[in-house]
This record gives sequence, structure tokens and C-alpha cells, in this order.
Amino acid sequence: MINLLKKIFSPDKNTSRNRANDRLRVVLTHDRLGANSQLMETLQREIIAVIAKHMDIEGVPEVHLITEGRRTALDISIPIKGR
Amino acid sequence: MVKKNPDSQVIVITSGKGGVGKTTAVANLSTGLAKLGYSVAVIDLDIGLKKLDLILGLENRVIYDIIQVVEGECTLKQALVKDKRFPALYMLPAAQTRNKDDITVEQVKTVIEELKPDFDFIFIDCPAGIEQGFRNSIAAADQAIVVTNPEVSAVRDADRIIGMLESAQFEDIKLLVNRLRPEMVRKGDMLSIDDLIEHLCIDLLGVVPEDQNVVISTNRGEPIILNDNSMAARAFNNVVQRLLGNEVDIMELEEQTFWSRLKRNLGFKN
Repeated sequence: MINLLKKIFSPDKNTSRNRANDRLRVVLTHDRLGANSQLMETLQREIIAVIAKHMDIEGVPEVHLITEGRRTALDISIPIKGR
Repeated sequence: MVKKNPDSQVIVITSGKGGVGKTTAVANLSTGLAKLGYSVAVIDLDIGLKKLDLILGLENRVIYDIIQVVEGECTLKQALVKDKRFPALYMLPAAQTRNKDDITVEQVKTVIEELKPDFDFIFIDCPAGIEQGFRNSIAAADQAIVVTNPEVSAVRDADRIIGMLESAQFEDIKLLVNRLRPEMVRKGDMLSIDDLIEHLCIDLLGVVPEDQNVVISTNRGEPIILNDNSMAARAFNNVVQRLLGNEVDIMELEEQTFWSRLKRNLGFKN
């Protein structure tokens, strides 16, 4: 009963508003950097190439843009294999 | 015409995207302030695509335009069109058969300096786009109002404009959300005010709901702010108060019904 009521009264997560927010987050971040959508892949590949010259990388490195207000930072996480 | 304050506020209304309500905002905020007795000048810098004269209902009174002023064909006083309803409201028309490059940043600054001694508020109606017309419009302003609609294309353009205003060292940039439909936000089919603030990260100046009365008042050439019964008029009046430094809460945009109250009381998220 409660589930049925919730279904009637609560908006589901897959609303067009949520889609708009998700798409805007991506596009505004790239617009502000003046970067294209390929940038993250290019960065990831090149950063890994540099690090791999000196260290053993373990697993899959992650490169993200994080935004705070109108500022953006690059968040890079690269797991390194111990000796 | 009597100026109330020693200082003048020079406010550019801009958006990036066209059709979001810049000219409507200029017409209503200027009329609202003139109604309260402030002396107000509005400048249409959308050279080649003028609209402000039409929205204000002053199209039949236009004789000269801003290009003729800067080219010395007439004086600034001759070109200013006095509003028929409010003697403290004046409009400086754009030229319709010229283009944005026919006036320079320096010339706009000179015109605005000449207006300052006589006016409390000077509004600049900025053209859509980020080219010369935009640069001319922001050059002499000390405050910017960015108008946007709750839709992705308008928000993207607004973000670009805010970035350009920040690069131009603007410190006073505020957001005016136009054409919000509260019932669509509630159903999850429109970006909310909080969503827009989260994306654009600037202070909110006001929210104007979608209102059919705006179309009707535009047809008549009478700014909606003069129609006391409409939601949009109340919203614009609130913005006028905020421009005067008064704190006014963002108004409730949806009428409270039995069902909306019941849902809220039962803890269902609206």
C-alpha cells in the first residue's frame, strides 16, 4: 500500500529534469575548460604513459573533473603496484 | 525630472541566448522603478533588431536613435523618448537599419556618462550573442542581470555569458529566471530554481513564472508590471524591490491546493 502511494506521489529518478541536470553538468564543465569530449580519454592515456615509464601501474587509473562552484579541478587516481 | 539618488546604477540585462525575456525584463523593471518615482533611462543596444520601443509601446514616438546621437546628427536629449505613462522614464532607441559595429565601446560609455547626472537607473538592453553588441552593452555597466529560462540551451548560454562577465571583472552578476512552470518542476519535467543556481553558481535576483498575461500585455504595448493581478507582475515588482536594496522572499509560485498540502504533510517529496 505504502509503495503504491509512493509510486503515485513521488517522481521517479529517471525524469527529464534529472537528465537535463546530468547533461548540463557534463557540458558546462567542458565549456568552461574550452575542452572537447575527447579530453578525458586523451588525458588518461597520456598521464598513464608518463607514470608507467617510472612505476608499475596496477588496475585501472581514473581521471575525473571535479567542480566546486564555477571552478574545476582534475582528480587523478592511479593505483601503484607495491614491491 | 528629479533624480532621487546622487549615484546612478547602470545595469546591463543580458543572456547569450535570444528570446528568453531580456527586453521584457528591461521594460518591466524600468517601468516598475519609474512608477515609484525614480528617474530611469533605458537604452536599446540591439542595433538592427530593435524591440524595446515596441515592448514599451513607444514605437510611434521614436524620432532619432542612438547611432544618430553618436554620429552628431542630433543631441542625446532630442533622441530620448519620454514614456507617455511615466514622466520619469525615458528610452534611447536603437537604429533599425544599421548594425552592431556602427557604434563603439567608447561611444556607448560617453552616452552613459552624459545620462548619469539625470538618472537614478540606466538599463541597457543587450542583444543576444557574444559579439560586438555584447561588448558594447557591458562596457559601461556596473551591474549585470543574466536572464535565463529553465531549459538546457538557455542555461548553457547563460553560463558562457557569466564566464565572459567574470573575465571582464564584473563583480555584481545576478540571475533572473524567466518563464518557470512550477507544475512541470514538480512533475520532474523542468529544471528547478535550485538546479539553475547549482549549475550557474550566481546569486538569484528573481523568478518570473510563465504567465499568459505577458503575451497579452506585449500585444498592447503595456508592460505586465502595470497589471496588478498577474503572477508575472508580482514577480517583477519583487525584483524592483530587490534592486532598491529591500529584502523580499522569492514568492510562492503555485497555489496551495488541498492535495498539495496533503502530500506535503504525508511526507511525500514534491
